[in-house]
Amino acid sequence: MKLATIGVGNAGSKLIDRMIEFEVETGRNLCRHALVINTARTDLAKPKNIPEDRRVLIGDTHHKARGHGVGGDAEIGAEVAKTDIDEIRRVFDDVEIHEVDAVLVAAGLGGGTGSGAAPVVIEEIQKMYDEPVYGLGVLPGKYEGGRPALNAARSLQSFVTKVDNFIAFDNDAWRSRGQTIEQGYEEMNKELATRIVTLLAAGEVDESEVGENAMDSSDIMRTLEVGGVSSIGYASTELAPAKQGLLSKFNESDEPESESTDAAKIKGLVRRAVNSRLTVPCDISSADRALIVFAGPPEVISRKGVESAREWLENAADTVDVLAGDDPRPDSSTLAAVVLLSNVTETPRIDEIQSQAVDAQNKIREQDAVREEEIQSLITDDDDDLDPIV
Amino acid sequence: MKLAFVGVGDAGTRIVDRLVRAERASGRSVSDGNVLVFNTDDAAFEAATAVPDERRVLLGDTHPAVRRRPDPAEAGGADGAETADGAGGADETEALASEIDPFGVGGDPDTGAAVAEAELPEIRRALDRIDETEVAGTMLVTGLGGGTGTGVGSVLLEELNSIYETPVYVLGALPAATEPDRRALTAARGIRTVVPLADAVFPVDNEAWRRGDPVAERYDAINDAIAARVLALFGAGERDPESVSELRVDPADVTRTLEVGGVASIGHATHELTPDDAGVVTRLLRLLGIADAPESDGAEADAATVKRLVRRALESTLTLPCSVDSADRVLVILSGPPDAVSRKGFETGRYLLEEETETVEVLAGDEPVPGATEVTATVVLSNVTDVPRIDEIQRRAVAALDASDAGDDGTTVLGDAADADTRPGAPDPADGPGDDAAGDSHASEDGQTGNPTDGAAGAEPDGASSESTTETDGSASEDGDRSVHGFDFTAGDDRGK
Repeated sequence: MKLATIGVGNAGSKLIDRMIEFEVETGRNLCRHALVINTARTDLAKPKNIPEDRRVLIGDTHHKARGHGVGGDAEIGAEVAKTDIDEIRRVFDDVEIHEVDAVLVAAGLGGGTGSGAAPVVIEEIQKMYDEPVYGLGVLPGKYEGGRPALNAARSLQSFVTKVDNFIAFDNDAWRSRGQTIEQGYEEMNKELATRIVTLLAAGEVDESEVGENAMDSSDIMRTLEVGGVSSIGYASTELAPAKQGLLSKFNESDEPESESTDAAKIKGLVRRAVNSRLTVPCDISSADRALIVFAGPPEVISRKGVESAREWLENAADTVDVLAGDDPRPDSSTLAAVVLLSNVTETPRIDEIQSQAVDAQNKIREQDAVREEEIQSLITDDDDDLDPIV
Repeated sequence: MKLAFVGVGDAGTRIVDRLVRAERASGRSVSDGNVLVFNTDDAAFEAATAVPDERRVLLGDTHPAVRRRPDPAEAGGADGAETADGAGGADETEALASEIDPFGVGGDPDTGAAVAEAELPEIRRALDRIDETEVAGTMLVTGLGGGTGTGVGSVLLEELNSIYETPVYVLGALPAATEPDRRALTAARGIRTVVPLADAVFPVDNEAWRRGDPVAERYDAINDAIAARVLALFGAGERDPESVSELRVDPADVTRTLEVGGVASIGHATHELTPDDAGVVTRLLRLLGIADAPESDGAEADAATVKRLVRRALESTLTLPCSVDSADRVLVILSGPPDAVSRKGFETGRYLLEEETETVEVLAGDEPVPGATEVTATVVLSNVTDVPRIDEIQRRAVAALDASDAGDDGTTVLGDAADADTRPGAPDPADGPGDDAAGDSHASEDGQTGNPTDGAAGAEPDGASSESTTETDGSASEDGDRSVHGFDFTAGDDRGK
């Protein structure tokens, strides 16, 4: 697939940056256009792989933002995106839309810029183009608190109703203990970039190498077209040390036992992908459609294995709409299986965020209701004998 | 976040001086030289050597209600000792602090306000020296117990509000328990005045901070501690703009936290990173290429350390002690080497604040200081509404008000405002901005011009003891009755002498 990508806010920009890094490292070519949008000037300097003229500062004339961010306020994030929509459109005008299959908008849903501005950007792109728009959203962890949960719950609604599919990533499922602030979300971003790029870059191989089993962009888009929220699973195996073993077996491919061992391995890889940490934990059987991409040297991808893996997933996901295909990468030293579970409807983490958001909203309303009164009561004495100087 | 510092009065001048020094010492550039100090008595200017001469503005030197400090060379007689003290070291001695400094506006905020109104052209000229395009806000720094600090400060605050689109904050020292009741009265009125005008007010509780010592002896220590906290809040993000932190605090995080108004308080705690700290071990291991090794207890302990640090900041002596659960919004900033601070600790620290303060509006950011040997947590509690010290100052203020009213019966009373104009030293009503009828209220909510001439007269330390209206009038203040100047500040003071 060929994508135009837009990162909104800090997390979104970082993700797009990471995706480009990963595709360059692995010789893929997914992101044909990349654009990042932010409200904080300092954050806009961070993405290393986005040219300077593809970084858009919004809200620098807004009296609350001024190029210093929106302080986690999604309302202001949306407001400044609306105000500066011409600026965004101008930069996006350069995109040769007929050269891409779809637009991907990435954002962190806990912060103010991503959660507020991204839906506005999506709306605008949908006005301009007919191509599908996919969302890639990072859900805040429980410990990020009530305000991020509220931003996320509200933004999720906007995202899911607008985009053609929303791929969710749950920070909580991916938190690891030993990280420092500097490492930040680096590791998670890397994991997510690996999954997204491996999945969506399939179908972009040299025509000559395309086998009959190659995954096609239209297969991926067909799986995504049902809308809703999607989750991605991933597993890979190093071939470098094991390759010899595998290849040597292929070399003696007449031996039927070896073929079945390889098939078992392929199926095992897919099971591992689905049972690994999904980008958002979900009940697999609630998936509407599913798709498996095998990325690796074509000679190690056993047909039999692919078919049995597909059948296994059909059962596990309880849907007949399961596609499986290859992304042949002859020089790769790894074999990866990436599983897209499209339109999963049982995602406990989203329910949790929603209930945390409802509590947060109630608390915020309570505070708003008494704020002025409490300040007044603090600054005046009981009988109101003291008066101001000016 | 870039801020202009505008100091008013002795305390304001001293604190701004400390802020500028702390900026230089810490490498956090907040004001970029956008600094001004205003005073009605120039004694405090001398010690404020970090503030350039051309950024010190003396107000009211020709105002009839302002008492000029005698030239130290000519000083003699009863005034001698006081004058020498005041001029020699800018800090008041405790002896002086327990009384009202007679110079300048003599501790009378209404005089201060009148002087400032009369000097508005001069004030505006001075404010031109601040480049508003370079700053994201202004911090008015003042002593709320002082006549200049609160009187001039209030007018200045109105002025700043009208000329700047960016937020205007107030850092205001509250008088200690050992200071005269009249200063408590000024502070209580000051709080009432500046809180609705400012975007947020950071009162500093000198009583809590003097730790039993006379407050004047601890000015430097207190002011340094306050300056460190203010810079930890506003200076985060002004150091090393190239840092890569994803969690970095933005100026908008600060302004959004404070935008609810009211009064805010800052807590602060530091953790020294020792060589055997987990973070350092982590760094070492990473250097040696075994980065993933410390999934172990080491890193986990680090998270616990960070969480503990945030708790300590919350439980530290706050700039304004308060019930933390009355906070409306919260901001926490972790400052330290980004490669040694646990992200999990950062997150759990933030969550701890959400639980302790009972608000969901908790923003968190970090200030990466590569190579630092300590980690600092700064917690800002915005719009705290349960503040015992403010209640106490209000009680003292009301008592002082009552005492001065009660005194009306027993002492020689010159009556109320009507007398003001007849008093020696009172400015010609026509000169003052508050030249409406002397009996007019300056308590009315919009009482901008107020009745400063009364105050001005009363502030004249040598003037006859000026007494004013009775307590019963006080209750009428809402009707715009004149009663408001019922706490003519010199009343209690003069009696005390």
